[in-house]
Amino acid sequence: MSDTPLLRLDEVSRIYGAEVKVHALDGVSLDIEVGEFVSIVGPSGSGKSTMLGLLGLLDLPSLGTLSVDGTSVADLSDHDRSTLRGEVVGFIFQQFHLIPHLDARRNVETALLYRQMSPRERKRRAMDALEVVGLAPRHEHRPVQMSGGEQQRCAIARAIVTEPKLLLADEPTGALDSTNAANVMEIFRDLNDGSRAIAIVTHDPAVAASADRRISMKDGKVVADDQLSGGAAVSSFGGTLGGAS
Amino acid sequence: MRSVRDLVGVAVAGLTARWSRTLLIMLGPIIGVSAIVAAVGLTESAKGDLQETLAALGDNLIRGEAAASFGADAPTFTEDVVERVNRLTTVEGSTATKAVSGIITTPYEAARSYYTAFPTPVLTADEHFLEVMQVELVSGRWLNSFDQDTAARTAVVGIGLADEFGFREGNRTIKLNDLDYGVVGVVERYPLDPVFDNAVIIPASTADADFDVGLEPDTVYVRSDPAFTLETEAALPVAINLGGDIETSTTVLSDALEAEAAADSTLQIIVAAMGLLALIVGGVGIANVMSISVIQRSAEIGIRRALGHGRSLIAWQFLIESVAVGLLGGLAGALVGVGIVVYASRIAGWVFVLSPELDLFGIQLPSHYVGVPTLYLIGVGAALLTSVFAGLYPSVKAARLEPLETLRLG
Repeated sequence: MSDTPLLRLDEVSRIYGAEVKVHALDGVSLDIEVGEFVSIVGPSGSGKSTMLGLLGLLDLPSLGTLSVDGTSVADLSDHDRSTLRGEVVGFIFQQFHLIPHLDARRNVETALLYRQMSPRERKRRAMDALEVVGLAPRHEHRPVQMSGGEQQRCAIARAIVTEPKLLLADEPTGALDSTNAANVMEIFRDLNDGSRAIAIVTHDPAVAASADRRISMKDGKVVADDQLSGGAAVSSFGGTLGGAS
Repeated sequence: MRSVRDLVGVAVAGLTARWSRTLLIMLGPIIGVSAIVAAVGLTESAKGDLQETLAALGDNLIRGEAAASFGADAPTFTEDVVERVNRLTTVEGSTATKAVSGIITTPYEAARSYYTAFPTPVLTADEHFLEVMQVELVSGRWLNSFDQDTAARTAVVGIGLADEFGFREGNRTIKLNDLDYGVVGVVERYPLDPVFDNAVIIPASTADADFDVGLEPDTVYVRSDPAFTLETEAALPVAINLGGDIETSTTVLSDALEAEAAADSTLQIIVAAMGLLALIVGGVGIANVMSISVIQRSAEIGIRRALGHGRSLIAWQFLIESVAVGLLGGLAGALVGVGIVVYASRIAGWVFVLSPELDLFGIQLPSHYVGVPTLYLIGVGAALLTSVFAGLYPSVKAARLEPLETLRLG
């Protein structure tokens, strides 16, 4: 590991509520490096979503430090944090969250707005990203005209078009049938080429098994952090995650 | 600049994606602005013909009348009153007239008793009349210096009298107290001083020779330098008097017409206020619909925030959507308002007035700013202002949405 990882959580806690305090995340420390393919697993209420919000710079820790390339994000203004988020993180959601009134290309281009980029350049990059996920021929289709798998591929194109160092996915196959889910996971494996980190929050063991590293959470704490090899767990899967699904 | 263009693009996409809703909330500004424009336009156009006449005749003609000093009968100026007046450097020209009383004229014998009871006015005039009054002849010629020098029995009649007596059909003489005068010309209607419309106008010398009324005029019309009308009016009595005992009462002839030509400001204010009310209600409509839109589009807002768009960009996006509705609605409203004024003017036979000079609660505004009628600028500006206020709350609300809450993670 280098001295300044892409993301570093140092004793991070996230506490909700003023009177009744809920520790959604409780003193978590971990690093994520460029080139890693990480899955974050755990039962409902384990703190996965909170972790996702923090890793995606959508949220700030209540205690502890969250750093991106060595810079603590707590010190940034909303504008700077938003800009940093746009540069560093690409999001993929379970519900795709495409903007319904825009076609596929314009959805992808949305990620490139406000970057002093010419429309021509923006269009070219969007088409390139759609090409990567095999959706270029359908770039004029709006979300309602696409299948779930296509929508998720479009969302992946939107996430990678900014060339982020971290691809953050929240149950990316949760709303898809098995064929489309396999298709999407195939794309993730292709994207795992060492130029970026990929973090997938999931409670699907098959998805988690695709990753190289598995962070298991329970009750706001990291209970296991395993390196997997060849898609198989080094430590026992069910042991740390009793009744996860 | 590119960010601004991006913002406008996003706002336009948001608006065009929901065309029917956009058009519906645009109705508020459209109705409001069109009512304001139509209110002012219609009330002005109703007086448009008078305003046009006024503009053509100018507002620099002063009438000076010899005033009766106490007890005097039929006061007159001196014979050289025109020369005296012309000594004023702000005077561009002047012409003198005199009313000749006690003259009976009738188009045919049977009507004599009527025309005795209501005598046709007979006036004398000099050869400068047309030039100073800036009035045209319908036909024929004016009284010339030959007529004046020889006391010729020539007459010019007003167009009203010409129609009444049938001079336009070829009748060429008129009897003044049984003396035949040749009608040499017919003078056009003159709205600034309607006395000429039904009058017989003859040379002063002829009037004196035939009716023994003297050569002293009783009225002088003075064309002033337009920039110094009031100063000229004030100086006129002294210039005519020259230390004597002649009194002069003066009138700027356009004043009366100007008052008549002014639009009905009470009606104007009432209708414009109703338009303003419609605009405000429309603004409330925009605020309402935009607020609902923010809730409906919370996922879109969340994803934009996740893609790195800051709070201020989200706020701007919704503010620009609101302002675009106000601006487009305002422009459309101005067009609709103009359409109403054009159509109504055509039906009612009014002269279409597009760009009146406005008096906004005591502030005088010119009719145009950089070529655009002030009225439109005010209408569209009001719509714009309303939409900015209407958009403030929804945009702040949109900016405050937490992406984590709208994206339903995990």
